[in-house]
Amino acid sequence: MTSLLTIAWIYIRIGLIFVGGGYVLIPLLNHIMVEQYHWLTLRQFLDGLALSQLTPGPLAMLATFTGFRAGGFPGALVATVCIFMPCVALMLVVGRNYDRLKRIDIISSTLAGLLPAVVGMVAAAAWNLGVSSLTGIKEVLILLVGFALFKWTKISPMVVIMGAGLVGLLLG
Amino acid sequence: MSNNTQKVSLTDIFLTFAKIGLTGFGGGMAIVALVERVCVREKNWVSAEEFMHGLAFGQILGPFSLNICTFTGHHLRGIRGGVIAAIGFILPSFLLVTLLSWIYFTYNKLPQLQAALKGTNPVVIGLIVVVAIDMGRKQIKGSGGLLMALVAFAASVFLKLNAAWILLGAALWSLCFSYFRKRLT
Repeated sequence: MTSLLTIAWIYIRIGLIFVGGGYVLIPLLNHIMVEQYHWLTLRQFLDGLALSQLTPGPLAMLATFTGFRAGGFPGALVATVCIFMPCVALMLVVGRNYDRLKRIDIISSTLAGLLPAVVGMVAAAAWNLGVSSLTGIKEVLILLVGFALFKWTKISPMVVIMGAGLVGLLLG
Repeated sequence: MSNNTQKVSLTDIFLTFAKIGLTGFGGGMAIVALVERVCVREKNWVSAEEFMHGLAFGQILGPFSLNICTFTGHHLRGIRGGVIAAIGFILPSFLLVTLLSWIYFTYNKLPQLQAALKGTNPVVIGLIVVVAIDMGRKQIKGSGGLLMALVAFAASVFLKLNAAWILLGAALWSLCFSYFRKRLT
């Protein structure tokens, strides 16, 4: 079994360089887990990838899976905490200085100016997800019902998502 | 902070983000859409604008779904709030992955959970679309904004550009704009 210290060190380093969304992580983790440390076979790595995508957490939940493999439950815990530590710390620093940053003229106008791009990105996420998961008429129907519920009712979105999961289980 | 003078309790923060972390199937933007619904619309914890700033900053390092939770939590109760929100959000997935990993390495089989995602994925798309419409209505003013939104959309969908790059580009664009406007006036 790998020592927890080694696991902690590996995942902190990954957490520090893990820029720009989850997909950078796949080749990186594959290299470290499969080729360098031989904790997993390629097959297991891919299964773990599928498995971590079953959860609401980010793709980086792959750290939990690989950490579990390397060191059982403690390994999973250490890996998860360490991979997320750098970005949580950074967000806390950003949050702390946010009010001060906002008061600087050039920063606040830049921030205000880039917001339309954020909107475009959110819309693009819907598009990309749609391309991969709207495979039939059933899915389109669920989408329309969901859209209507979110747009015109006050039902909690969590309830709607859980309900849709049940529908998926029953239909699937 | 918009209008709540009362401090939000850490328990409340934890429970809210745990619920989000339990139900937000569908990846990064699904979480963002959920946090927007719950923390901006329902609870008025952050303003729409602050939320989007948090989202932009959240592209710098790590998963932005987690980052927006940390940002919102920090906004409410400082460092403790941010850490509690992050833990609350990750905990359900952590427990789920641990359980599934245990099953996987013991029985060498993946549980059949994909069927449930068949139902949640379309509904999550609906949620994201609604959030995009609401955000767009508020934040896109004039043709310049519309153009930027369309370019960002196209860059992401057709060029498959990373979100961080798109935002960096948008920031430069907007920086130049505000710089020149200042020099002219």
